[in-house]
Amino acid sequence: MDSLKEDLKKQIIEQLNLEDLTVADIADDALLFNDQGLGLDSIDALELIVLLEKYHGIQLTNPEEGKEAFRSIDTMAEYIRKRKAA
Amino acid sequence: MSVITAYCRLTEDVCAVNGEVKLRRNVALEDSWFKQIYRHFDFSYPKFYKMDKLSQAGFLASELLRKINPGIMGYGDDEIALLFANRSSSAETDQRFKDSYTSNSAPSPSTFVYTLPNIVIGEIAIRNKWYGENMFAVLPKFAPDFYKNYAQILTSSDSKAVLCGWLEVTAGNTDVFLFTVEEKEGGTEFSEENLFRLLETAATH
Amino acid sequence: MGVCITGIGVVSAIGMSVEENLSALREGKSGIGPLQYLQGTKASLAGEVKASNEDLRKSLNVGTEYVSRTSLLGLQAAREAWGDNKRSGVIRTGIISATSVGGMDRSEVFYKDYLSQNSPDYQVLTTHDSGSTTERIAAELGISGYINTLSTACSSGANAIMLGARLILQGTLDRVLVGGSDALSRFTIDGFRSLMIYDEQWCRPFDESRAGLNLGEGAGFLLLEGEKSLQLTGNRPICNVSGWANAADAYHQTASSPDGKGATLAIENAIRRAGIGLNEVSYVNAHGTGTKNNDHSESVALRNVFGDHIPPFSSTKAFTGHTLAAAGAIEAVFSVLAIQHHLIYPNLNYQDSIAETGLVPATLLETGAEVNAVLSNSFGFGGNNSSLVFTRYE
Repeated sequence: MDSLKEDLKKQIIEQLNLEDLTVADIADDALLFNDQGLGLDSIDALELIVLLEKYHGIQLTNPEEGKEAFRSIDTMAEYIRKRKAA
Repeated sequence: MSVITAYCRLTEDVCAVNGEVKLRRNVALEDSWFKQIYRHFDFSYPKFYKMDKLSQAGFLASELLRKINPGIMGYGDDEIALLFANRSSSAETDQRFKDSYTSNSAPSPSTFVYTLPNIVIGEIAIRNKWYGENMFAVLPKFAPDFYKNYAQILTSSDSKAVLCGWLEVTAGNTDVFLFTVEEKEGGTEFSEENLFRLLETAATH
Repeated sequence: MGVCITGIGVVSAIGMSVEENLSALREGKSGIGPLQYLQGTKASLAGEVKASNEDLRKSLNVGTEYVSRTSLLGLQAAREAWGDNKRSGVIRTGIISATSVGGMDRSEVFYKDYLSQNSPDYQVLTTHDSGSTTERIAAELGISGYINTLSTACSSGANAIMLGARLILQGTLDRVLVGGSDALSRFTIDGFRSLMIYDEQWCRPFDESRAGLNLGEGAGFLLLEGEKSLQLTGNRPICNVSGWANAADAYHQTASSPDGKGATLAIENAIRRAGIGLNEVSYVNAHGTGTKNNDHSESVALRNVFGDHIPPFSSTKAFTGHTLAAAGAIEAVFSVLAIQHHLIYPNLNYQDSIAETGLVPATLLETGAEVNAVLSNSFGFGGNNSSLVFTRYE
């Protein structure tokens, strides 16, 4: 089990008040902004930017950059690893 | 004649529709009071969880009114006006937003969007796809003449029905009263006396 | 006769009075710059009123320190609009004022003291209430017939004017002072920055490269009178407020719909209410905040209503910044001035049209224009969209 991905799921549930969801409900490759996935919206995307800064110390100033990074849990984890390695 | 066709009351521990208690708060449950109502009536609108308390209260009460008075869905989508007021504006959420950047340093955008009292009207409009007039006033106390006066203005222009609301939700105080006003023959006349009476009695039966 | 405007007052980043605002508009001089008075925000640019709270208290002769900046700005503009009108036992007079932050500018200072237990002064909190500005102005001018405070985000000021006009036509009031006031605060600046729609450069309404808004502060007030009041006061009408409409966008808490549905409804209904033809609208004072979302949606709405014959339009927010609940009232004053002085204002900082819509705003000041009817748009969070139409008094 990838602990970064598990942490991300917990942080997303907490940050976005997704009270009726549990970590088990979120698949690593589910599309976060798709209605078949989590159905997040533009404000949630901004919360994810806050989340990156708050828990991972990563600043994302260009919302466009977030679009790719926030596709799924997989892409988010990849983005965080890349930024931290840089 | 303008009549009050349905009304819903939420207080700290009672949820009543048309004067009839539908649910009492169960303090033994971990769920918040509004979440208890949401679950009890099997509502399914995931956005509910992201709303602030003011919007949650407005959502619940308007959904309950729709249930008891489905007739209001028969109007054109721009024929229902939303006329809301309260005393404390969005104070509860304002403070949560303030806390988000005093304690965490990062202001929370999803909290910020609820730091306006009229967002609840927006949420109800989004939910029902209503494009009619909407207004929010901040008043010292529940003022029947405000609703009476403004509803008259609204129905004398393009609105055929008005969903009115007094929506005061702060820490330790829930005082929510939503009612629909329509043009009909017979029923509870839309008068200041009746509004006071319904507000007082709605939650005590 | 309809509803007449007989007095106007305004304070904004471009001036402390109608006259100062008018000359800055003529000169194309923006009031947006680095913050001088508000401390502790990260915003590099904002439309701050060029006076400290102490300056304002002194010039307004307000003794108490327990007064918010929102109230001081409101008082400044309300006094100017009221002029030397007298209270009256016969003329039923009301006041409707709009605000979105209320006394937040003072509360956030209090809150810091409170959290650090640095002897917080609880009396400051009496200035927090949204209604405190309205009450203060009402008390000072002796207005007691009807007192109301509206809070519908960035359309609040326009909604106050709309409600005032309707109360006169309904026969509830004979005259009413309407407007709005909002001060800058860390609360709103941080909020808009968290939404990533705050431009750290100068805002560029309707430009392809626009990247957000700059907040501003200020107040605008207008004195509206009906026939009976005019007979008693003998005031000379400056122009009429003859059209108004409000519609919900029903799309998103804060974002405007891509098809501009609510805005389209508001514009159409306001022009219909004014009883004029689409081709009679001489100028549109747009909401034009400079955010990607608003300017696109508003452009679509203008296209929906006017087709290929969109009247000259501009946003004056690159002058004042976005003054939130005051915007509708300040821009109403600008609209009245456009009619009065035959002006069309330039949309500052514009270079290239928005690719999807291709609308080109007025970029140069036009003087001597035939301006007989002005449409003013104000679109707020919550999808609360309002439009007003002002027409020349005949």
